[in-house]
Amino acid sequence: MGAPAPYVELHAHSAFSFLDGASTPTELAGAAAALDYPALALTDHDGIWGSMEFAHACKGLGVRPITGTELTVALKVEADRVELAHLTLLVESAAGYRNLCRLLTDAHSHTRDGAQRNAGQPWVSLEALFERADGLICLSGCAREGVLAARWERGEHALGAKLGRELRGAFGAECLRIELQRPYERHDRARNRWLSGLAERLGVPCVASGNVHFHRRSRSRLQDAFVAVRHGVGLDESEPLRRGNSSAALASPQAMAARFAEYPEAVAETARLAERLRFDLTAELGYTYPGAEDVGADRELAETCRALLAERYAGSSNRLEAERRLEEEISVIRGLGLSGFFLLHRDLLELAREVAVKVRGPSSVRALLPPGRGRGSSVSSIICYLTGLSHVDPVKANLFAGRFLNEEVAAVPDIDLDFPRDIREQLIPEVHRRYGAERSALVAAFPTYRPRGVVRDLGKALGLPPGEIERVAGMVGFHERSGEIERDVIAAIGKQRAAAPRWAALLSLCPDAMGLPRHASQHPGGMVISTKPLIDVCPVVPAAMAGRQIVQWDKDSCADAGFLKIDLLGLGMLSAVERTVVEIERARGERVDLSRIALDDRETFESIRAAETTGVFQIESRAQMQMLPRTLPQDLDDLTVQVALVRPGPIQGGAVHPYIERRKRLRENPNYEVPYEHPLLEPVLKDTLGTIVFQEQVIEVAMQFAGFSSSEAEGLRRAMSRKRSEEAIRKHREGFLAGAAGKGVPLELAERVWEQIKGFSGFGFPKAHSVAFGLLAYQSAYLREHYAPEFLCSLLNEQPMGFYPPDSLIHEAQRRGVRVAPVALSQSGVQCHIERQQGALAVRVGFAYVKGVREGEMAELVGERERGGPFESIADLASRSGVSREGLERLAWAGALDGFAQEDSEAGGGRREDYWRLVVAGSSQATGTGKQLPLPLDSPTAPALEPLGRWEKVIEDYRSTGINLGEHPMALLRGEIGDGVARSSDLSEIEDGATVEVAGMVVARQRPETAKGIVFVLLEDERGTVNLVVPPAVYERYRALVRAAPLLHAGGRLERREGTINVVVEEVGTLEWSGRPQGEVRRIEPQGGRDPDHAKGGEMSFAARRARELAVAELRAVVPAGHSFGRRGR
Amino acid sequence: MSQARRINAPKETRVEVGPEGTPLGLGGTAIESIREEWVIEDRWWTEGPLHRHYYELALADGRNVTVFRDVRAARWYRHSA
Repeated sequence: MGAPAPYVELHAHSAFSFLDGASTPTELAGAAAALDYPALALTDHDGIWGSMEFAHACKGLGVRPITGTELTVALKVEADRVELAHLTLLVESAAGYRNLCRLLTDAHSHTRDGAQRNAGQPWVSLEALFERADGLICLSGCAREGVLAARWERGEHALGAKLGRELRGAFGAECLRIELQRPYERHDRARNRWLSGLAERLGVPCVASGNVHFHRRSRSRLQDAFVAVRHGVGLDESEPLRRGNSSAALASPQAMAARFAEYPEAVAETARLAERLRFDLTAELGYTYPGAEDVGADRELAETCRALLAERYAGSSNRLEAERRLEEEISVIRGLGLSGFFLLHRDLLELAREVAVKVRGPSSVRALLPPGRGRGSSVSSIICYLTGLSHVDPVKANLFAGRFLNEEVAAVPDIDLDFPRDIREQLIPEVHRRYGAERSALVAAFPTYRPRGVVRDLGKALGLPPGEIERVAGMVGFHERSGEIERDVIAAIGKQRAAAPRWAALLSLCPDAMGLPRHASQHPGGMVISTKPLIDVCPVVPAAMAGRQIVQWDKDSCADAGFLKIDLLGLGMLSAVERTVVEIERARGERVDLSRIALDDRETFESIRAAETTGVFQIESRAQMQMLPRTLPQDLDDLTVQVALVRPGPIQGGAVHPYIERRKRLRENPNYEVPYEHPLLEPVLKDTLGTIVFQEQVIEVAMQFAGFSSSEAEGLRRAMSRKRSEEAIRKHREGFLAGAAGKGVPLELAERVWEQIKGFSGFGFPKAHSVAFGLLAYQSAYLREHYAPEFLCSLLNEQPMGFYPPDSLIHEAQRRGVRVAPVALSQSGVQCHIERQQGALAVRVGFAYVKGVREGEMAELVGERERGGPFESIADLASRSGVSREGLERLAWAGALDGFAQEDSEAGGGRREDYWRLVVAGSSQATGTGKQLPLPLDSPTAPALEPLGRWEKVIEDYRSTGINLGEHPMALLRGEIGDGVARSSDLSEIEDGATVEVAGMVVARQRPETAKGIVFVLLEDERGTVNLVVPPAVYERYRALVRAAPLLHAGGRLERREGTINVVVEEVGTLEWSGRPQGEVRRIEPQGGRDPDHAKGGEMSFAARRARELAVAELRAVVPAGHSFGRRGR
Repeated sequence: MSQARRINAPKETRVEVGPEGTPLGLGGTAIESIREEWVIEDRWWTEGPLHRHYYELALADGRNVTVFRDVRAARWYRHSA
């Protein structure tokens, strides 16, 4: 490096200005380093969302980060209008940082005031700003909307000068600078002449700035498109809103000096200011652990825990070991100053208990269950067990707290708690109330651009036809790389259209847009709690959900800031399990205490080993089902490994196949000796047969094998669990190889073990977490096995959750003999429930499954039925239920009113009649609103209407409820698809390697990132399911079909492996049939009197063919779309 | 028959430039000062993308003229208004 940089950029936006910036903070930092900037300021709009990431990225590259924001202020507030403008604030001192945080908190405080809580524009009043000027440098803002420039723009020169004087009064000549920008807009020179004249009159220096919006010129197009997206208009209409050119790129200090050649002092001032701005966000936050100031905390925690231990381990053989552990943990916690934090946790849990009692009701069988359960590494701590944070006895489960707590921890441990959803919903606002709005907040999350969002948002901005956009959006996958999108575009709209300038422009924007944050949202449950005001360390802003607020940092930034984080997570399966227990009591009068069920139930384990696990927590996925018959879990310990095994970490680390293989060998030969890479690894990898399955095994291997200290090893684990850590991982590698060499491990072997660790870096469970999840998997499998109807009922009520859509859950349960009854006016409740039918239990589908009805209306309907007795006719229903006409029509189409039909009830054909009656009632009794059907009336006899055909009924069921309880579509098509197509139930009779054809409805599609382009498809026919494995080459050939077709016909090779059957696909087609389907295909149209399928003769008429195409198209539109496994569940 | 013409359509013009591309003269008339200078990069998503570098010039003969350089075509145009 030569002479000191002539210019430092003090005004830059990243993508955390949300659709007003087109580079990440890390990209800006990288470009600044490459251009030899000594320092760079990040000044996103009304937030410091990206500032922590920016600060760390800059420091890693030798650029000094300057923290700031471009704040929106109200120049004038009138009843119905606020006049807003911008100014730039830069942090000079810790006091200034506190003021910035409070200003930003203030700016956002009113942003969710509307009834809908839609995000509004943040702003603060000038008075509020002036009160918090201390420690901040104020630049007068950007060329278009800066507080002074905007006045000039409107010709309000005197007002501008007055405001300048006010700013000078508040910030002083030391801390106010008049900002000059050169965006290459028409009036730059005139504006800067006026601003510099004003500066002279005020006796304040000018400072140059670039108003950077992207780190290199090529991003200017994306910036243009983002502006259009932000304003909800097309690029064609947004010209005045856009920047107009690419000059908002980060340019070199020299180029910037040249750009401001007329104002050399303003250029020099940038460097002088930068010298003054030495506040370091990474070191001067001033955050302390909650409770750290409480001097009595150490003693209180110790006494509380000792008393609890005496109670919990009374008479236990583990008592001595438990005491030893407790004293050890207490001393570590004391050393770390964390006693107050653990007490805070205990309080929080007490709060959760109170909330749970309120939500569940005191006498519910749910009251037997703890309010929530620990997950993650906290489960290994005995203090967490004693205070109720965890329900797993770590002594009994042989868990060690080393990863959670050790004397060297550089970062504080997270505590994760799972709650049933309903309890969590209440608990979060309750926590805000208990600890105060200034002291607790949720962690932010930043949804980033994925392929589908890019196509939709940017496609609209580019003015592409909505039809085309949707076709392409339907084709692109969630995990797709940008290079693959072009093929999807071509597949969806053809090569010629894909080459049109606007589509080409979209394709060129894709790689840049992907991964950029689109807006701020809330983390599912991460909470930061502080005993000092949180708004002094990070801005706190209202969240979209009422009663919730978020800090401006995501979990990585919160961890960097050293915040103690508590994760309050809603876990659908916990809710479902609780619902099941309640439903069992209701239906059978039996009180099941899940904490006391046998943990070695033979039938439960048999079902698990047979992969009969649809709906079971964690082990229901297709990959798990393929694994279970091979690993054959025998007990809870095996399940603990099982839930951890099918994760990206163990898969990429190469643990899966050795583990399966070694288990098999051990089963066959109990004397089999597990091969360890090195004797040093045996003690840490014994439980998992020499493979790395759990997250803490990475730590243990690093310590045992490479001599890492526990904090070094923890550093390695943290580096692996983050996105932005390649560099850090490389450094750990050197340490690892050197450490292993020190222990006498040959280099080649050390490298091999490192590769396993590195492969693991994707994601893995800590063992303690797996213990908790394994137990929940067992409990859910137990309920599924012994209380099948109640379990299914609860899953249906707790949707969305798990891997399978409700339709598949129902079909699978039906195949096991579970009765499911359709939604019906006189029996259904709002939710699904259990009822007795001729002595047997059946699941009655609730009104909530009818699409388009309002839950409130359905609750009223049920209430009226309970008060006033059953509805006697449609007219009675219409007058008493209070349900809108649309609601009633939807009920009619869903078949809920079938009981009123006088004929054709067996085919569901009464629906037409019901509908007819509704229409008649509606048209003759129309009221003022036109929505209600208030008067009872005797409707005339319905004319003879065709009942719904079988196929129509399937379509109608899917359309109106998303589930089909009657005939499977494949049963209707079976006779027509040729004899060569095997049923799912036939596959067990077919030999390995044989060529087979199968067909069915697509239940799930999955293209895991770990599977090298292989796509897994689960088909369902009338007998069961078929696993398809679609190799990449075949996928490429049939991309559109594999992706989007609701019904598939596939040919390939049958592959049988230890209890699993797959079809490795070679060819894919849509379903075709040679003649008429058994189900009659008709359109539901009033004028459609003629049944096209009754056309005589061998040839199908055009009309008949057309009707069938329509029927398939209808099915496509209404069947539940098979989804990507990767997106749901945990 | 002459076709309808756009009013105020820019006309190609001759501009003398200095070594850094800054205009020095317009059709032989010296330039006294550059009053404003701005850049438009637009319509990149269409078949007719724009990239223009505009100058508002005060000429030695007292006229004010706006010219632009079409960066893609490397030609100068003058706005008649």
